[in-house]
Amino acid sequence: MNRNNFLIHVALAIVLILIAAFAGQLNRWRKEWKSKVHIMPSAEKKRMSTAEEIALAEGRTFGRPEVLVKFKAGVSLETIDELTSRFHDRVEDRIESDPGLDAIDDLDNADAGEVVAQYSALPEVEYAEPNYEISLDAVDAPPLVPVRPADPRFEDQWALANSGQRGGKEGADISAMRAWATTTGSDKVVVAVLDSGVDYTHEDLAPNIWVRPASLAPYHDNELGTIEDVNGFNAIDNESDPMDDNGHGTHCAGIIGAEGSNDIGISGVNWKVKIMPLKFMNAGGYGTTKDAIEAINYVIDRKKAGVNVRIISASWGSTQRSRSLEEVIRKAYDNDILFVAAAGNASTNNDRSPHYPSSYNVPNVISVAALDRNDQLASFSNYGVKSVAIAAPGVDILSTWLGNEYEEKSGTSMATPVVSGVAALILAEHPRMSVDELREKVLASVDPLPALKAKIATGGRVNAAKALE
Amino acid sequence: MALNKEDAVKKARKDLAQRLKIDDNSIKEQSVDDSDFPDMSLGAAEDGEMSGQMITRGWRIRLGANNESYEYRADKNQVRLYKYKGKNYRI
Repeated sequence: MNRNNFLIHVALAIVLILIAAFAGQLNRWRKEWKSKVHIMPSAEKKRMSTAEEIALAEGRTFGRPEVLVKFKAGVSLETIDELTSRFHDRVEDRIESDPGLDAIDDLDNADAGEVVAQYSALPEVEYAEPNYEISLDAVDAPPLVPVRPADPRFEDQWALANSGQRGGKEGADISAMRAWATTTGSDKVVVAVLDSGVDYTHEDLAPNIWVRPASLAPYHDNELGTIEDVNGFNAIDNESDPMDDNGHGTHCAGIIGAEGSNDIGISGVNWKVKIMPLKFMNAGGYGTTKDAIEAINYVIDRKKAGVNVRIISASWGSTQRSRSLEEVIRKAYDNDILFVAAAGNASTNNDRSPHYPSSYNVPNVISVAALDRNDQLASFSNYGVKSVAIAAPGVDILSTWLGNEYEEKSGTSMATPVVSGVAALILAEHPRMSVDELREKVLASVDPLPALKAKIATGGRVNAAKALE
Repeated sequence: MALNKEDAVKKARKDLAQRLKIDDNSIKEQSVDDSDFPDMSLGAAEDGEMSGQMITRGWRIRLGANNESYEYRADKNQVRLYKYKGKNYRI
């Protein structure tokens, strides 16, 4: 080898070493870049599905298998293997923490969309979706992937995600999982639950209970005096403790805001929110108009004092009209507070036989009818094409109950907090929205249903995902 | 204390006897049926009363006296007289 050849070989070797070193560095940069992307779920706009989050949490590389397929409960592993081999596919990974969810690789390298369509058509499949590669670019990609909370009894919450369980109709729900891809709520939004009080010690509610900030003076009323309202207000005894001794208010509160994805019980429409407990109904579940008015006045006072209480959820009523109750609800409107009210359970037409407070013609009132798990108007629900605005799930609704328990209950009482919860989600995304805009947004979100045509004003069921678009 | 069906019937009989000023033994128990009521005042709200709009399981108690029929509604929390002379009463 002459001197020139030797130098050329040395130079080539140096170049190769430099290229290898640069490639190694690139890989490290790539890894660092990806690890930064993994932190992105804390951003407000989530773009990853639960399965992707699970995979990331388990430290697995993601991106190879074409599709993620969720098989229905009860479909055996043998059946899954049989189906995948029929399509000449293979199960690349079984997501252990989410039984029935498999990452599937198409051995023919078919287009992911085609594979999704193939699996979606199977009766054994709950859903199938492309296995999105998570990258910086994907963070800006528009499609929102449904988010499933880690709550052991979420499967029983058909109102939030109806997969056809217990004879229901698949999709007859409020599209909560798609909504949660945009927001799961905000602890800056306060919802007053005007009811039999709330069990604020319930483990699935306690983190989401409103607490009067130290900077805010206790409630003072000229007649009642000063009340140390730590967690809300009890209008029956005019005292500070709004503890529930019936269960109804606790149930309604859980529908709005049982803490989501905490590995306990259920998920509320809002995973995080602040529930302001108010008690005006007694242990029997009934109360007086006077006490309801006092409690609404309390909410208005707290709003004026700076608490961001924007919604009153009212799962109660009667056929008796009260001018003073109507006036105080109007006063709440003047203070930018939405009033969501139960349409009533007498199977009657509110246009002919009004039910109050839902039938008051005040601009902040939303009257709510109840639906069953098949998108049918509940047999007990009141209706009224002029006086009932919207419908929401209200039959066999699982929610929190006294003593850290959970119960299924039915009524327009249960449909009302679903709508209150959706309104709270909207405010989490659009905190400055006025009460008029908020009401309009909720009502414009509906999925029209044949069963509600000519029965209620919007003719539809509330849809949380649409409300956030 | 939570009421059971027997307690509720006893309470209803006693109330009717007092209202009609008759002996408890002259009241006939026509029927006692499990029933779902439309709300937490058992579909028998008193004047000025608001109640939770939740379907409530309870008992429909029909009593007879003086050739008339009277309806009471009860659950574990309460007993009510339904439309007695056009009005509802919580016992």
